[in-house]
Amino acid sequence: MLRIKFYGIGGQGAVTAAKILSQAVSIYQDEYAITVPAYGHERRGAPVYAHIIIDNKPVALNCYVYEPDVVVVFDETIISKGICVGEGCHEDTVLVLNTADAGAAARYRAEFNFKSIYWSDGTGVAMKNIGIAVPNSAMLGALAKTGIVSIEAVEKAIFNSFGKAGEQNARAAREAYGQTGRA
Amino acid sequence: MPVKMLDGNGAAVEAVRLVRPGVIAAYPITPQSSIAEHLADEVAGGRIKAEYIRVESEHSAMSVCLGAQLTGVRAVTATSSVGLALMHEVCGMTSGCRLPMVMHVVNRSLAAPWSLWCDHSDTMAERDSGWLQFYAGTVQDVLDLYLAGIRISEHPDVLTPSMICQDGFFLSHSMQKVDVPEDSAAFGFVGQYRRQNMYLDPEDPIFVNDLTPTDDYGEMRYQQMVGFRNAAAVAEEVFAEFQRRFGRRLETVRPYMLEDAEVAVVTMGSMSGTARYVVDQLRAQGIRAGALQIVMYRPFPAGAVARVLGQIPVIGVVDRSAGLGAVCPPTCTEVAAALRGKANEIRSFIGGLAGRDISNHSFERIFADLLAIRAGKRDTHCQWFDLRANPMDIRVLSGEEDAECIK
Amino acid sequence: MPERRGRPMDKQAGRKLLGPCAIIFAAAKTGSWRLERPETDAGRCVRCGICARYCPVGTITVHKEGAAPVEIDWRYCKGCGICVNECPKKCMELVPERGEG
Repeated sequence: MLRIKFYGIGGQGAVTAAKILSQAVSIYQDEYAITVPAYGHERRGAPVYAHIIIDNKPVALNCYVYEPDVVVVFDETIISKGICVGEGCHEDTVLVLNTADAGAAARYRAEFNFKSIYWSDGTGVAMKNIGIAVPNSAMLGALAKTGIVSIEAVEKAIFNSFGKAGEQNARAAREAYGQTGRA
Repeated sequence: MPVKMLDGNGAAVEAVRLVRPGVIAAYPITPQSSIAEHLADEVAGGRIKAEYIRVESEHSAMSVCLGAQLTGVRAVTATSSVGLALMHEVCGMTSGCRLPMVMHVVNRSLAAPWSLWCDHSDTMAERDSGWLQFYAGTVQDVLDLYLAGIRISEHPDVLTPSMICQDGFFLSHSMQKVDVPEDSAAFGFVGQYRRQNMYLDPEDPIFVNDLTPTDDYGEMRYQQMVGFRNAAAVAEEVFAEFQRRFGRRLETVRPYMLEDAEVAVVTMGSMSGTARYVVDQLRAQGIRAGALQIVMYRPFPAGAVARVLGQIPVIGVVDRSAGLGAVCPPTCTEVAAALRGKANEIRSFIGGLAGRDISNHSFERIFADLLAIRAGKRDTHCQWFDLRANPMDIRVLSGEEDAECIK
Repeated sequence: MPERRGRPMDKQAGRKLLGPCAIIFAAAKTGSWRLERPETDAGRCVRCGICARYCPVGTITVHKEGAAPVEIDWRYCKGCGICVNECPKKCMELVPERGEG
């Protein structure tokens, strides 16, 4: 069983990304995933969390993720809003970070002790491919680099979810996947 | 069977489409809103061939559905929380008129305090309104229980409406893998709606719900009681047929590792899977823990509960509603009544209100309490779990509340 | 006034019904409640139709032609007198129902 927590800012599409990830593993990889969304007072700019649990058998657990195996941070500034993305992490927890700044990975490592960090300029890739600063598809591409989901499954799920914008978003995921660095 | 990723509200809409309703009237309310919206989409897109009647309130939605179903079609609405409370008056009309309507309810707290999030206080306030109640544990349950609920409600020996309850957000907005039956298979199971008992027909007019004399009222309530009594047996038949047709097992209660359990929890709704997950963990440590999920709350399956819990020394019943002023909250009251005369130690746990997460850690703490009671600890009969340490002091005025805004 | 085909619930004959449904319709013929009945002075009536518009149970038909301008469905007229009050020509009045034998 794999427990994943997404940290985002309202408007970045973190909740949508969680739904697409659950579809990618459940429909296109024949595994099981559930999302447990944490809806708050919805507004742009507020911190947003989404929780995903993946298993190779039906998922019994139906609650938030408190000890994540993978943490995805959609906005590197979220730690300045008083949010601790290291909360509940264990020594093997993997971080996937949206940043254009290679130094950010080092800062996150120093502050939260992540052993394994993947980083990608999700927002830049989104601007280039979609024309808006919504990094959710790109960050799913970066997440695929960790090996928990295949980039092909992510692309298929994106196509299936976004309709007309599917191609641009899938391209963003593929490009982010290609340029994801590992620190 | 096609597998889809759906959230609970998506599964609710699929279920409605499969039973081919004639009239839909729903008023949007969080967290039910996407049901009302997507049903409108389905009608506009011609995938549901129903009349969608726009209404200005839940009271009107239920009234429209009551009238519509009396003419001889399946009528569909769905609601949450204060919307259900506003329907309350007409819910009693529907059940009292013996209309087998089946309604999705997305559980959300009642106000005040105003909240958008999940607990069971809304449907618990309707537990005596003459509706059958089923509580889904998964998104798959939302779809399956709706189809089964149609059959149970419409059975001529039952003729009683059903609420299919799903936890707001924890199910309504949780994406899960769902087997959606083919249209023909689902419709083959629920069948064409047949008007039964009384109905409205201009060619053959009747008076429905005129002033009923004292001489008849008690007898009509008694008739409803018989409907509930029959529903228990009909549910078993319908669940068995459902399993033959679709391969999935539905039960009025879902026992898990209870045969040799020394401690067990009783749950309803989305927390139930988490309870089973913790039971597995405790079993791996050699602790004889078990869990029971109540699926059908009305009629309460007292016989089945007594059968599977009768021999378990210590039982904790988890309620997601407060049951203010009662000896213990609603689920615990029912379980205690079902086990009357037996020697079980029963403890009530209240929590998960207004969407507070009932996590694996919550159940670890509850089981730790139950094990301590098993070892002889004396404890209060009723406990609020995961409550903040200072519940009486969470709002204290400092006199400088505006300081931050002013500077 | 069109006559209903058959009696109410004829098609249900012999069936048991559950719940609040009236099957005895004696009180439904509201004409049986009447203590006084409206009578019209046909000579003064101008056939304006106001009595028909105000009748709460819709029992009045006003004919444009013919000797009797106001026709009342006695099965349902309760004798409430609203038509009498509303008549602009004061050509209607309530007369006792009993006494007429």
